[in-house]
Amino acid sequence: MGAVEMRSLLDERESRFPLDLGVHIPKIRELYRQATARQWEPLTAIPWDDLHPEKHTPEQLKAARLYWSRRAWGEYGAISESPALQIRFCQQRHEPDLRFFFAIRTQEEARHAEVCYLMAEKLGGYIHEPMKTEFQGSVSTHGVRRMALDLNMPLEATIASLVCAAEEVAFDVFAHLIRITTDPVAKRVLQLIMRDEVRHCAFGWAYMEKRIPELTAQQLKEVEDAVVTMIEKVEMNGYHSAWLGPDTPATRNETAADRLTYEAGLGATVEELEKPVFVKSIKRIRRRMQQDWGLKLKMFTHPKIEGAF
Amino acid sequence: MVSAAIAAVDPAARRARRRRADPLVERRFPLHLEPAILTIRELYHRAKKSKWDPERHIPWAQFDRNAYSAEQLRAAALSWSRRAWTEYSGLPETPAILIRFCLERAGESDPKLFLSVRGTEETWHTECCWRFAELLGGYTQRPAKPAYEALFNQDFHREAFDPGLSLDAYVGAYVAILDGLDLELYRGYLRHATDPVASAILKRLTQDKERHVAFGWVYLTERAARWSEAERADIVAEIDQVMRALELGGYHCAWLVRDGAADDVVAADRITRAAGLGALKPEEERAIFAQFFEDARAHLGRLGLPVADVSGLIRLPR
Repeated sequence: MGAVEMRSLLDERESRFPLDLGVHIPKIRELYRQATARQWEPLTAIPWDDLHPEKHTPEQLKAARLYWSRRAWGEYGAISESPALQIRFCQQRHEPDLRFFFAIRTQEEARHAEVCYLMAEKLGGYIHEPMKTEFQGSVSTHGVRRMALDLNMPLEATIASLVCAAEEVAFDVFAHLIRITTDPVAKRVLQLIMRDEVRHCAFGWAYMEKRIPELTAQQLKEVEDAVVTMIEKVEMNGYHSAWLGPDTPATRNETAADRLTYEAGLGATVEELEKPVFVKSIKRIRRRMQQDWGLKLKMFTHPKIEGAF
Repeated sequence: MVSAAIAAVDPAARRARRRRADPLVERRFPLHLEPAILTIRELYHRAKKSKWDPERHIPWAQFDRNAYSAEQLRAAALSWSRRAWTEYSGLPETPAILIRFCLERAGESDPKLFLSVRGTEETWHTECCWRFAELLGGYTQRPAKPAYEALFNQDFHREAFDPGLSLDAYVGAYVAILDGLDLELYRGYLRHATDPVASAILKRLTQDKERHVAFGWVYLTERAARWSEAERADIVAEIDQVMRALELGGYHCAWLVRDGAADDVVAADRITRAAGLGALKPEEERAIFAQFFEDARAHLGRLGLPVADVSGLIRLPR
């Protein structure tokens, strides 16, 4: 069988009308309202004066700069890629609540990139790129732009994999980071980002709650495949956590930097602490997808994690 | 042999060149997040400081429908529905132009950060116009005539993604010109609005739009020194295209829509204007349009962009 040709959203002409702007998914409209009401400003919401780089060693600062720069690169991915979903919501005239919510979500991602950049700057300087080119594949993209523009990929599969899988893992890791980070400024940055991420995750589940009953068995299978791909090829390839990535000099450099940052209380975590968090997160996602969607996610294995999870 | 500049202006040559353009491929690193265009970074910070909330900052409860006749309410509902259709353009367009900035090699971060806030503001604008139309008696989901409806299906998002159209030409045509006229019209609506809800909405929207338009001009000014002759010709050609096909076709001024396809909106706007509910008469819009075009053309000229004078085409229907 030949490969299926990609049908791009960009090949479709706009057909704006009827332009319905009413409330169709109240939970998502409410998330939009909350996001509007709870905006924060990276320049003033963080007690930057409480950050004391002089208390740390040059090695710790260098490591923390890399850690926060890497966070900024990750957040930037959402600025560069996720807006494609907004275009899809508009072009396919999905519920207006999605279009409203996602616009402000993009701004929140920009805010996260900005605050991570500022943190790296205040620790001695933002770093513009990863040290090794081969590592860039896993840190730079989760492939969402392509998924969003590909009309052969059901929107539900994109939302389920991006939000209900990847963002849920990120959310659990954030909660863990907030618990272990001792520096008050790093902790505050993480808390404020997490405050937004709560809504991002809730959006995904609220949308899927509406759509799941309307999906065919084939569409549900595509949702499952997309979630598995996101976990196996993106998350377990080190998109969020360097230690999960392939063992290369670059990965070792990143994980060493994470350890120094963690020891300084400046925001990172380490493999032995994050591993149970990651496993628990995957189990929680599997449980919820089974309960709410009737979807049975396969078990996963990873060379650095004992047994299937 | 056709010169590069002429090839850029000739519509057929432009189309052919656009089809031949290489696809855009993102090269994310090195990823520059530091301020580079300081004026745009400042616009971004100002936008964050100026954040507002349609729920809390518009005095919805002060709207007194008993102060207006049924005809006035009906007319204003249509005027504000039309405004929602126009404001909505930003919802697919801004994410597209934001991605386009990310696809450009070595692009500065300031425009990307700014556009992320612009997208939020455009959503608030759309919501306010829709909600006010509902309050006035009911939002209308589509224009009455297909000819007018077609004018809104402009595929702005596809234009933004088109590698054959330079980003600078896009910003020149769609931000400086299209958004620029929009801003001047909103200033006009605001001057004549007496209703407290209409005034509050128009004031908020106008303040945001001032930043949106400033972004366009700052960006063009920043880029101007780097343009080649062919690039200038391309920008001028895109502006000319947008002026003739969109603005002179009635995209913002309904009385310019051909064959009277938006006459219901024109009539509604007159009544809405008289009621103080936030609109303008065609003759007022014509004066604003002509003045805007004269000012914009002079400004573009100072940037080395000699835009054709089409002011003679800004004519009221007989």
